[in-house]
Amino acid sequence: MSLYNRISVFRAEQGISRRQLAEAVGVNNQTIGYLERGDYKPSLELALKIARHFGVAVEMLFSFERFESIAMTLKRAGEDE
Amino acid sequence: MKRPVIETFLSRLDNTLRWTGIPARVADAMSDAPSVDRKHRPLRWIPIWPIAFSCALFILSLTWPSALGRVSLGGVILALVPSLSAVIVALLPVIHMNGPLGKPSLEDDEREAALRKDSFLFCLGLLACVNCLGQPFLMILSHWQNWQTAHSLSVAISALMLNATLFGSLPTLYASWNLRQLPKE
Repeated sequence: MSLYNRISVFRAEQGISRRQLAEAVGVNNQTIGYLERGDYKPSLELALKIARHFGVAVEMLFSFERFESIAMTLKRAGEDE
Repeated sequence: MKRPVIETFLSRLDNTLRWTGIPARVADAMSDAPSVDRKHRPLRWIPIWPIAFSCALFILSLTWPSALGRVSLGGVILALVPSLSAVIVALLPVIHMNGPLGKPSLEDDEREAALRKDSFLFCLGLLACVNCLGQPFLMILSHWQNWQTAHSLSVAISALMLNATLFGSLPTLYASWNLRQLPKE
């Protein structure tokens, strides 16, 4: 089963590099790269560490379903308002 | 003033050790804030050489055993090269042979430990299959061709070398081909 994530989106939003995130969660910066690309599924511990670093629930970062694109989310938010 | 020979020799040894990069890595790992940007270099082609060499040696011992017996010194070198190459390959830092299989070591994080575990599982599984199929095959072949003791011995030694080479090189080869290139940030 595929595991999708949006670590790169949160990283870009907070303006931090792979290396800074890797240092914060205690892994090699290559591991963050492989995680973002979906080549590696993290352990629960690492997923929780990353979620805690961004201050969000783990479901916000990882999902078994594809995440909605940012454009679609913004469009929907605009329609709700 | 001329420096004593022993001092020059020791300083050269120190420089050689520094050149390997090991002291810097140890100092980094033991520091309060070890760096996280170390990279494991994939070795996609180098491990193929010792494997190919020991396969060739094994085939040679099967098909032309007199060639190995005739050149005794050459035979020893032929036998030593693949196993030494495998040791060197195993020491190169794609995956660490001495790290624990299931959990991250001092240097490796969970992805690297998982990759190492997968690599060794693949290697040991393949070795088990090759040996399970190869042993009865060799027994039947030796009986069929009426091998002499010397021939059996050379095949057994080259099979041992092949096993050692595969154990030393296959995990590195597997891990290297599993590591895909990451785009630059």
